[in-house]
Amino acid sequence: MGEQMKLGAFLMAGGHHIAAWRHPSAVADAGTDIGHFIALARIAEAAKFDMIFVEDAAAIREKDPNLASQAARSTMFEPLSLLAALAVNTARIGLVATASTTYNDPYGLARQFAAIDSLSGGRAGWNLVTSASELEAANFVSSGLRPHAQRYERAEEFAAAALALWDSVGDHAHVLDGETFADAAALTPVAHQGVHFSVDGILESRRSAQGRPIMVQAGASDAGKNLAARTADVVFTAAQTMQEAQDYYADLKGRMARFGRQPADIKILPGVSPIVASSESEARAKYEALQELIPDEVGVGLLASYLSIKDLSQYPLDGPLPEMPPTDGIQSRQQLIVDLGRRENLSIRQLARHFAGARGHWQLVGTPAQIADELEARFRGGAADGFNVMAAHFPDGLTDFTELVVPELRRRGLFRDEYEGATLRENLGLKAPFTPREES
Amino acid sequence: MYIGLSLSPFGHHPSAWRRHRGTAALGFQALAAQVKLAEQAALDFVFLPDLAGKRPQRALHPEATPFEPTLLISALATVTRRIGLVGTALTTQHEPYNLARRFASLDLVSHGRTGWNLAPGDNSDRAGEYVQLVQALWQSWDADAFLYDKQGGRFFDPAKMHVLDHKGEYFTVRGPLNVNPSPQGAPVIAATVTGAAQSPAAGKAELILVEAATIEEMIAIADRLRSSRNGPEPRILASIAPHIATSMDEAEALRREFPMELPELVGTPETIADSIAGWQGNFDGFLIHPPLAPDGVQLVVDGLVPALRRRGLFRDGYEADTLRGHLGLAAPAILPGGAR
Repeated sequence: MGEQMKLGAFLMAGGHHIAAWRHPSAVADAGTDIGHFIALARIAEAAKFDMIFVEDAAAIREKDPNLASQAARSTMFEPLSLLAALAVNTARIGLVATASTTYNDPYGLARQFAAIDSLSGGRAGWNLVTSASELEAANFVSSGLRPHAQRYERAEEFAAAALALWDSVGDHAHVLDGETFADAAALTPVAHQGVHFSVDGILESRRSAQGRPIMVQAGASDAGKNLAARTADVVFTAAQTMQEAQDYYADLKGRMARFGRQPADIKILPGVSPIVASSESEARAKYEALQELIPDEVGVGLLASYLSIKDLSQYPLDGPLPEMPPTDGIQSRQQLIVDLGRRENLSIRQLARHFAGARGHWQLVGTPAQIADELEARFRGGAADGFNVMAAHFPDGLTDFTELVVPELRRRGLFRDEYEGATLRENLGLKAPFTPREES
Repeated sequence: MYIGLSLSPFGHHPSAWRRHRGTAALGFQALAAQVKLAEQAALDFVFLPDLAGKRPQRALHPEATPFEPTLLISALATVTRRIGLVGTALTTQHEPYNLARRFASLDLVSHGRTGWNLAPGDNSDRAGEYVQLVQALWQSWDADAFLYDKQGGRFFDPAKMHVLDHKGEYFTVRGPLNVNPSPQGAPVIAATVTGAAQSPAAGKAELILVEAATIEEMIAIADRLRSSRNGPEPRILASIAPHIATSMDEAEALRREFPMELPELVGTPETIADSIAGWQGNFDGFLIHPPLAPDGVQLVVDGLVPALRRRGLFRDGYEADTLRGHLGLAAPAILPGGAR
């Protein structure tokens, strides 16, 4: 049996499509329904997905109340609360949530992820982000969004402190034989004095079955890629074309040797938004039905926020994108959008609808065999180790994938029939936790 | 009266862990079993303490909670249906926006059964601004703000969303909170009061848990809290450690082996219920710290609670679905100078 792909199910209330909540089959208030999320995690688990993933924004996502009020993404469960609930209602699937290094502190966050890791029996993962939005900054500081370089400097130190804290309590530290509570020899207190944090002592937690949570990142800037190459186990990415995906894959894996790591130590999972049906015309009709539910002002507002520019509505909607100013937001995403617009000669309106569909990720519309062909080509073509599946709407978009595409991937030997291990680390085929080291 | 159970893996006596072999008691299933027992007895809430800040930094402490308390609440909420879940969180360990959305989310997962035990951890001015800010964030949305109007394309009514724009001495928070309001409006705010000093933060608490070495001290604290309070009356619960057994001799033996710093009630369910009946005018209820767990919890559920019911001191079952409902607390009042 050859190498198999890793699959994540990226969950989001009604779906990844901006207008998913308006779909006739959508449960519009799904975002506040814990039972909905438990059901989705169990669907992904029954299909043997490696993990579910939830993203985060520590703010409302759209400043204009009128625009915000037309999107279901304005409110959400705080991700770690959601993960803790899922941890005790699933048994095998990995549970990954986003949390910011800019608006948390290492001890508190390490302790929280350790709790998820213990509650789940070693299935937790942390998607490290540095929070690029002005609206998030406004909920925490009076000084506004910190520059990209400063955020990454803090993230580097934060990650090092969190990893040391997770490793401060060893595998058999809790003894409990009636005489001894804990084995002091299994403890490695942290003594971290850095620029941003000082951490002293051990983490108030237990060592989890996978040692410590899986480290996930999605950074695509130079600083982001270096942090990932040094510390990440899994990397999420957005890539439209095969070439972009291959370039990113080769670039990131090529950086790992400098930090003493092997290419297989990181699993790169590009996002993919599949719309699947048994015939191509049926799949196309499903896609168009969703696209028609997007109000122009919502699509254009979302596009503006991905471009990190204040206002796009002053430009003609049927004209091309204007020249972009430099950004302190997500630099990689801005470039991707500009490139797509130029390559396919798309107007602002067309780009907006396209992005509202999959939010800059790779969109596939077709039959199970067509979608499996595309995934297989990228998996075998040095562009991906697997995929983070972003269903357009839940639960139907996810069950379409698990019932139609997953069996096709299995027929081709590309996806597992059964979980290999008990922990997320084992299922990802990763080695025991390592100690990140500086460039050599 | 109102009854809460303070949750601990082995019991609240510092040496209770010595009765256990292996780590099973530290696991989620064992803790959940204790909470389910408390729910069988229709207790108002379980209380999740946190040693954070008071723990030894370089050793593992037997009384430490095995899981960060706010996240444990979320997991427990999915395996219970009625019981309230009150968790401790330090104002020094969470940014106010993060804490507000954590508890708002817990309140959604639990369908309105959570409370925040506000542990200041630093100076009272900062904690005072903190709690006011969190309460205001919980009022970011009117109860009927969410329309879910698929045809009209309106997820919520923008006029019913409130941007806080808080600029205080310690915090700058724009808002609004990005979590929907819960069935009880907002989590209940609790505080532990141990002595004479009362922080402005504790002054906001709707549920006050008094801790002192003697019942007399707790009565004095409760009286002082009531007389100094403007606005709605909080629920004031006294902390007690009952040594329950089928005979007085056995109960005395338990006390000798596991002496507690809190006021100890020693005896059979009937004699302890008689003592509690004598203080019902002094407190709104009691927070029970079992010296040993889970057996001490079982004795509360099987012995003490039925004895209190026979005296007409505790309800026969749940009469509400939310923690506010259990405690007879009104939905949070609109704050002057708050979100609207």
